Amino acid sequence: MTALNARRRRILLTGGTSGIGLELIRRWGDRHEIVTTGRSLSSDLADILENRPSITHAVADQAKPMEAADRIAEALAARDWETLDHAVLNAGTGFAGDPASEDTARLLETLDTNLTSTMLVAQRLFPLLEKGRGTLTLIGSTAHRGAPGFASYAASKAGLNGFARSLREEWRGRIIVQVLHPGPTRTMMHQKAGLDTGRAGTFFTPPAAMAAMIDHAIARRVAGRRLSFLRYWSGESLLARGL
Amino acid sequence: MAVKRALITGASMGLGAAFAAILAGDGWELVTVDRQPHDNDDAHSSAAARFQCELSDPAEVTRLLEGLEQGEGFDLVILNAGANATGRFEAIDPDVIPRLVHLNAFAPMALAAGFANAGKLKAGSHLLFISSLSHFTGYPGASAYAGTKDAIAIYAKSIRKPFAAKGISVSCAFPGPLRTTHAERHAPTGAQAEKRMLPEEAAEKIVAATLAGKKTIIPGLGPKLFSIAGRAFPRITSRVMRHLIYDRLDREVW
Repeated sequence: MTALNARRRRILLTGGTSGIGLELIRRWGDRHEIVTTGRSLSSDLADILENRPSITHAVADQAKPMEAADRIAEALAARDWETLDHAVLNAGTGFAGDPASEDTARLLETLDTNLTSTMLVAQRLFPLLEKGRGTLTLIGSTAHRGAPGFASYAASKAGLNGFARSLREEWRGRIIVQVLHPGPTRTMMHQKAGLDTGRAGTFFTPPAAMAAMIDHAIARRVAGRRLSFLRYWSGESLLARGL
Repeated sequence: MAVKRALITGASMGLGAAFAAILAGDGWELVTVDRQPHDNDDAHSSAAARFQCELSDPAEVTRLLEGLEQGEGFDLVILNAGANATGRFEAIDPDVIPRLVHLNAFAPMALAAGFANAGKLKAGSHLLFISSLSHFTGYPGASAYAGTKDAIAIYAKSIRKPFAAKGISVSCAFPGPLRTTHAERHAPTGAQAEKRMLPEEAAEKIVAATLAGKKTIIPGLGPKLFSIAGRAFPRITSRVMRHLIYDRLDREVW
């Protein structure tokens, strides 16, 4: 069941290899046309791609913003897409730890992957989204308000929030721009970031439920929203499932 | 009493030059970092050491950091260098976007983390970031810039406690429009320059608040009121900003 169920749509999703992105593909894969990108092709995603020509995957490493924007544009051109209904810019990375111990390489990787690349891709997609009267969705994080143990990640997500807020006004009437801020989600991100979630991890929102809430927020074209455990337990994920 | 040492990035003009003039006048020893050497500038020529660095190039920032880590520590670090890019987002040269993120967000973050890690921020020192009033209001017509300035504001907020544990006080300033040549280039045609605050006045207020350990610094009453409106009525304020800036844009400038 997907909230985007009125008609078949063309969707670009960055970071579809794992986590929330992968769950969005599981949700949309049977009904919509999808181009997805990521640093590599995971076995989970490869399983979904099998016998589904409506979903294509391209390798794009957002740590190299210009190259990533080129790869994504090529992947859309390969499908002969000149319009786009939805762009969901979800790819991201982050490192946890004492901010003083973050070296320049990590700071740069976090900012380029999460912020620079997302801005460049958004700019590339402008003509396609404008023609398709589409929706641009940036996936932020509840950390965008600040996080001492996750400083550069929080900064990059705050950057997305500020960028989206201004761009939404610029593109008003042409393209809907929204930024959604997932709270802690039970994905591999925290382990990859070097964070031990301990018992708190049990209370994190399951990725499928987070994907449901994102789907719902996109369909409802909200400007910006925090998507958290509380919202999950208050029943929004049920709503999103169409119950 | 030992002479206090300050580092200022982007000290050759605008707000940075005003910081340099104030601190030099108060007897501080200055280390400046600029894109080009500005030999004629009075405040600048009083600097004890001058570094030349293209701060929008991460490789140069990394090299600068290695050089500065060899030197003495600082009592005050002002990460001021920054640039704007105004115009319709889709019309801005894509090459400008990474440069903006690197100059406005990466460089100050890398210098702050690098100095703290290398012990170059003395106990009792002050670290100042320069964000923008747009953090509270949105900035249609400079969306990429607005993103980078939000990034640095939240970085400053995030590191405040961990840095306080090392004896470093972190401040972030949110200046509104200033009467600088940089602002002049980016202002919509017909905007009234005399309404903008003088950089000397803003610098005076910001330095005093920073040394007093204030974490959020919004210089001026107008900007303060605007920041309150932005937080209380974000949607209306964004619309007003669109009307004031985006709807009056007649060119792309970066």
